[in-house]
Amino acid sequence: MKKRSLYVMLFSMLFVILAACGKGGGGGGGDGSEDAEGAEAVEVIGSESKDATELKFWTFNALHIDIYKDAVSRWNEEFPDRPIKLKAEAYPYDNMHNNLLLALQSGTGAPDIVDIELGRFPNYLQGEPQLLPMNEYVEPVKDKFIESRFDIYSKDGKNYGLPTHVGATVAYYNKEIMDAAGVDIDSIQTWDDYVAAGKKVVENTDATMTTLETNDYWSYWPLIKQQGSDFFDENGEVTISNETNVETLEFMRSLIYDEKIAEITPGGGHHEEEYYGFMNDGGAASVIMPLWYMGRFTDYMPDLKGKMVIRPMPKWTEDGNRSAGAGGTGTAVTNQTEHPELAKEFLAYAKLSEEGNIALWRVMGFDPPMWTVWEKPEIREDNKYYQYFGTDIFDTLLSIREEIDSINITEKNPLVQEQLSTNVFNNVLRSQSQSAEEALKEAEAAIKNN
Amino acid sequence: MLARDKFFTIIITIVIALIAILALFPLFSLMISSLRPSSELMRNGITLSIPFEQLNFSNYTYIFTEAGNYWSWYINSILISAASIILCLFFSSMVGYALAVYEFKGNRFIFILVLLILMVPFEILMLPLYQLMVGLQMIDTYLAVILPMMVAPIAVFFFRQYASGLPKDLMESARMDGCTEYGIFFRIMAPLMLPSFAAMAILQGLSSWNNFLWPLVVLRSNTMFTLPVGLATLLTPYGNNYDILIAGSVMTILPVVILFLFFQRYFIEGLTVGGVKG
Amino acid sequence: MSERAVSTTDSSRSKRSIKDFFLSRKVVPYVFVSPFIISFLLLFLYPLISGFIMSFQTILPGQTTFVGASNYERILNPTFFKALSNTTVYVILTTVILTILPMILATMLNSKFVRFSNVFRASLFIPALTSTIVAGVVFRLMFGESEASLANTVVGFFGIEPLEWKFGAATGMFLMVLLATWKWLGVNILYFMAGLANVPRELYEAAEMDGAGIIHKFRHITLPMLKPITVYVVTITIIAGFRMYEESYVFWPEGSPGNIGLTIVGYIYQQGFRMNDLGFGAAIGVVLMLIIFIISILQLALSGTLKKGE
Repeated sequence: MKKRSLYVMLFSMLFVILAACGKGGGGGGGDGSEDAEGAEAVEVIGSESKDATELKFWTFNALHIDIYKDAVSRWNEEFPDRPIKLKAEAYPYDNMHNNLLLALQSGTGAPDIVDIELGRFPNYLQGEPQLLPMNEYVEPVKDKFIESRFDIYSKDGKNYGLPTHVGATVAYYNKEIMDAAGVDIDSIQTWDDYVAAGKKVVENTDATMTTLETNDYWSYWPLIKQQGSDFFDENGEVTISNETNVETLEFMRSLIYDEKIAEITPGGGHHEEEYYGFMNDGGAASVIMPLWYMGRFTDYMPDLKGKMVIRPMPKWTEDGNRSAGAGGTGTAVTNQTEHPELAKEFLAYAKLSEEGNIALWRVMGFDPPMWTVWEKPEIREDNKYYQYFGTDIFDTLLSIREEIDSINITEKNPLVQEQLSTNVFNNVLRSQSQSAEEALKEAEAAIKNN
Repeated sequence: MLARDKFFTIIITIVIALIAILALFPLFSLMISSLRPSSELMRNGITLSIPFEQLNFSNYTYIFTEAGNYWSWYINSILISAASIILCLFFSSMVGYALAVYEFKGNRFIFILVLLILMVPFEILMLPLYQLMVGLQMIDTYLAVILPMMVAPIAVFFFRQYASGLPKDLMESARMDGCTEYGIFFRIMAPLMLPSFAAMAILQGLSSWNNFLWPLVVLRSNTMFTLPVGLATLLTPYGNNYDILIAGSVMTILPVVILFLFFQRYFIEGLTVGGVKG
Repeated sequence: MSERAVSTTDSSRSKRSIKDFFLSRKVVPYVFVSPFIISFLLLFLYPLISGFIMSFQTILPGQTTFVGASNYERILNPTFFKALSNTTVYVILTTVILTILPMILATMLNSKFVRFSNVFRASLFIPALTSTIVAGVVFRLMFGESEASLANTVVGFFGIEPLEWKFGAATGMFLMVLLATWKWLGVNILYFMAGLANVPRELYEAAEMDGAGIIHKFRHITLPMLKPITVYVVTITIIAGFRMYEESYVFWPEGSPGNIGLTIVGYIYQQGFRMNDLGFGAAIGVVLMLIIFIISILQLALSGTLKKGE
């Protein structure tokens, strides 16, 4: 009998616990206060009024929440009759994309608005996209934008994702190291100049000239794009092992092993803690990354403040391009939203308006895809990026504006990324078990067979 | 004691002590790391030398004062683990017991099914299971996390092995006294199995406390997250929050270690008495 | 629960017959196993069948089509074999290490030679209390590639050059096996100690009378007596090994260089979710299930666990 009462007790305990479920999710959350000690993983932003419409927003980068924080407060001021309350949540990169896939696949559980990273975006364009087309908002302003940034988030003429930045790739130089090596940064115009400068750096300082990623493709993609090549051509045919791509990969290999001016990125990529530490301690004189990488410097490499400068990429030929668009986040409205019109209008307000684009720069240090704002005085207002990298960021950007070709995206891009970051770079650059041509041919076969 | 025995005692004790130190070392260094500024940790990782001058409690102060949802995650984890343990022990022990003491049609078949579940990779069940949870409108509730853990095959397996070691003549004499089969289980056999309950409570509690993949999929709002899921959200390629992450990790281990040390005796007893039979 | 259901039925006649029905020795076992049956049908069989059907489909939102066995045909590719061989090596290593090492340590802890046995037992078990995610954070920080990292300082004592732990096939496997060993050693020690507690002391005493040495006693008494528990430990280690994902995930959340850390479950995850190819992922899952099933049944059959009347 005793034992049975034990069970009864356990059970009543259980029901108490389960009854508590319904109430879960109260409390917590933020009040959108501005003390932002680094972005919180969840925040409720905006109007406290009861008739405010709640929109749910997912992102894989907690820092992106700040963009919408800014937009919501502007929106609520401008449209007091249609207040918005944005519930923003940040998940780990992989998990957010997977959860979104499950939610869209099963028809429920998705947020109203979501940030989707470029490398994963094609997954959501397969089949019937479960995202809402934004054409009505995109078309009127298209000519003010770097247009190709819409194409990468589109299918069959419908624009699903709104771009977050241009992703212009630039060269970040550590001026202190370059000076110590006796190199004038502005004299570096071509990749040959870059290699020559690298030799001086290696000779005269303890640093290496640059680092090359093996677990991501930012050291490679912009370089081939610069030369007009890509992983796919305009018709979506795989071109990953074409001559330019093979030669460029071989060039990267030779930077490490023949010229000895480059090292494999510590930790394997430019987003690893090992690299932040290495770079912060003056481990490399330069790095080639898109402009959106600025935030990593300001946040994780505080010691380099005032030492880094931003310049166009070295070019391959005399009249070659000095930049390339790389990376991206497409923000989309899902078809599961209960307020499609409001969600779309708000998203367009945040991403397609002039203020919105200025905010992309002001808040995040992103190069806004609406190029018409690049010359606005608001863009020139002092902020932490100017303090860190100097005041000539937009001069550099304007000088290369015509040279930013964008990437071609197909459904198979996730596969390319996987092949490059697991096999190709590892086998060619790290273990040297394959030549550039062998590795790229093998990757091409794997992509075609999938 | 023989000289030879003394020699063995010393050697074996040293060997085991060394292994024990190795086993505790990572956790020890985690604790030291939690006292270091995260920027330092990010730069140099865990090093062999301890930089005493850097140590301070600021990461913990941060957790206790402004760590956002950390404590909601904590409470969620405790509630979910408690409920999972209770439900799982109740149901799994019944099933394991029946498989062990009764000869009935399908007994072997069900046992094989139990093993089969043990073998199926959860990943292939994930999407359909997720759709089921959607259908049951359980997404983002505790129940969604608890339900799939209710009848844990590994616990059924263990209880079956344990119960088959119980003295059957006790059952016979209870039947003579007019006890029903249920009475036999609840009043006689289950109490005999109590030690095994302790053992399974710890193992199930652990797997629930540390469960990652499933809660990650079915829990949606940050305030509903469990600790591992919440901590993983701090670990994004776009900004590792090492201050909370490391100190937060230490705080997840601490209560379990204390509980374990407290209940250790019952736990060992549970695994030992009657023992596991193949 | 069922008991309560019985006692609250009202009408006395039907109460009688229903009660009798639920009390009969034939029915009781089924009542006991009913929670399992229900959860099996709902939470396992249904998803399993859906998963099986999915493995013959291409699943895209709004466009699910049957594609026959083409998902299965695609499985036989180099990446799958890489995942299979990684997983197999991992299973073999963990099974051997996590059976032999705990067995020896448990025998030591159980012997009269060890003082403070309880303290050691507890210390060895504590790693099991850590979640793999948390453990992974520590291991990643310890096995950094810089010269100053803890692991490289240690190998430096032996005159070995700093290693890039997370980037070599052998060191990568070492990291995964080490993490698993660290985490599960204590648990398996406890299992074995449980088994040892059931070995009658008299057996040892009798052997000692005959002048048997330690090795002899271990081989001829300890080992045979530990057989049942060994079967249990080996079974769960093999199964856990084939299902392993987290140990790899914590070192390489986005995919490993040269796929050195790719496991079969990791491959399911990669294809099913990262590549949005749920049908293919499901097909790999079905194959994995068959592999595990065959190996476990073989293993259990060989050890006699499935025989009647155990």
